[in-house]
Amino acid sequence: MKTINSEHHLDLTQVDEKVYSTLNLGPTHPATHGIFQNVLTMNGETIVGAEQTIGYIHRAFEKIAERRPYYQITTLTDRLNYCSSPINNIGWHLAVEKLLGVETNKRVDYMRIIVMELARIADHLVCNSVIGVDSGALTGFVYVFEEREAIYEIYEELCGARLTTNLGRVGGFDRDFSPLAIQKIRTLMKRLPKILHEFENLLMRNRIFMDRTVNVGGISAERALNYGFSGPNLRATGIDYDVRVQEPYSSYNDFDFIVPVGENGDIYDRFCVRQTEMWESIKMINTALENLPEGKFCTEVPAFFLPPKEDVYSKMEPLISHFKMVMGEIDVPEKEIYSAVEAGNGELGFYLVADGGRTPYRLHFRRPGFIYYQAFPEIIEGASLSDAILTMSSMNVIAGELDA
Amino acid sequence: MENSILLQELKSKFEKSILSVDETADILTVTVAADSIKPIVAFLKNDQDFIYLTDLCGIHYPELEKELGVIYHLHNLVANKRIRLKAFVTKANPQIDSLVSLFSAANWMERETFDFYGIDFVGHPNLIRILNVEYMDYHPMRKEYPLEDATRSDKDDSFFGR
Repeated sequence: MKTINSEHHLDLTQVDEKVYSTLNLGPTHPATHGIFQNVLTMNGETIVGAEQTIGYIHRAFEKIAERRPYYQITTLTDRLNYCSSPINNIGWHLAVEKLLGVETNKRVDYMRIIVMELARIADHLVCNSVIGVDSGALTGFVYVFEEREAIYEIYEELCGARLTTNLGRVGGFDRDFSPLAIQKIRTLMKRLPKILHEFENLLMRNRIFMDRTVNVGGISAERALNYGFSGPNLRATGIDYDVRVQEPYSSYNDFDFIVPVGENGDIYDRFCVRQTEMWESIKMINTALENLPEGKFCTEVPAFFLPPKEDVYSKMEPLISHFKMVMGEIDVPEKEIYSAVEAGNGELGFYLVADGGRTPYRLHFRRPGFIYYQAFPEIIEGASLSDAILTMSSMNVIAGELDA
Repeated sequence: MENSILLQELKSKFEKSILSVDETADILTVTVAADSIKPIVAFLKNDQDFIYLTDLCGIHYPELEKELGVIYHLHNLVANKRIRLKAFVTKANPQIDSLVSLFSAANWMERETFDFYGIDFVGHPNLIRILNVEYMDYHPMRKEYPLEDATRSDKDDSFFGR
């Protein structure tokens, strides 16, 4: 055994075998915001490697979808990225509409944009405020969660549910925006800029926050593309890929909005991209509300849109078609489609193979979180444990989406 | 980018491997021989700028001779062009080349496809189950495994065409 005295220091580099410690982070850990397991190999405080285990909340959505009529699959999509369920719902409706070859009217499109952008704001509010929490700033989180609550109240007014919304129908909505809903959206849009400013004042130029996030947890644009990154995580690296612009759906091409991009792909850039996207969303919602076209809240294609309840109760034909639709007896063309929307955390795709039957033959969800989360070990290699936690929350990985 | 030019390029390079082409689908769909999937994807990536692997998933058609399929969605972000590739393998020999060396994104997607369809991606660095438990001894998304217990008699849906 070596002894240490002032003349002869113990030279650590001479120790032959490096002893790494193993740290089990998760599956349930207060810092991981969901059920993820990471077995970390640590050299002191530095991460040498990480081994991910996922699938703890796998619910076999793709298998279940093969036995459900199209309209019943909406409830499965709720439970993918549950921070912004309406985007998933509408994404699924758009996929089915693409399969059926349905053109929705402008009012439906604009209503959808309002709902989707509200959901995007809710998603980004959660993610960005949690970045704050994980870097030690709890205050911002408390500020913005009140606004998220207001968004959930709007969902409640639109469809009756808050988290797993099952919002809208194939072809449009089940009902029009009520005056109260519109009033709630307007009130929120008036209040939100102030809150966002306040939130940004707390974090954006905060020395401690910047020290924790700038040049931490970064990934290069090339690696990000290779890893299939999408959404704010990809845009933070400087690639301006946004499904809303590349393949506009639901009349997004009527709107003028900026696609913010970052430069380093680090935590701070992700934070800023999301922050800017929220401002753009507010602009879009305001424009859509002002220019909300007249028309019906659904598309008049009786083959797949449920008839009004009063007709079902009083007339024969609506009753028959209602029954047939609920039992899933609608005519579906025999083809396959890929339809994508820009969800809160990336490109949410639906690969749908229809064989003409009442259920999809095959439905695959392209879940953005599942694809980019595999880059996590590469990103955190050489980082400290506390930075790894922050990196994970900045990537906006949602367990429900990860495990399908 | 026109479909015809891309197809011409593909056909001149891989004439024997292009089995069928479907231009009527929403995305240009090309069915290719399973043994040449890797060179074709490498060609699309390196020469045609399809640098983004959007999606990779499996499919099962029990009535076909080559039952199991792998479906690739590639995206050329510059020209904003998507392409869908399909490759089919038999259930007895479900081997197909892994794309992990070309796209890191393929790693988990291939593990997921292996997990649910039992497709063996040759050259994958860590081909183990990802969403299901390790000791599961079948591949649950194959069509021979019905979602509900087939022996149940209290749920007769035959009137509704199920």
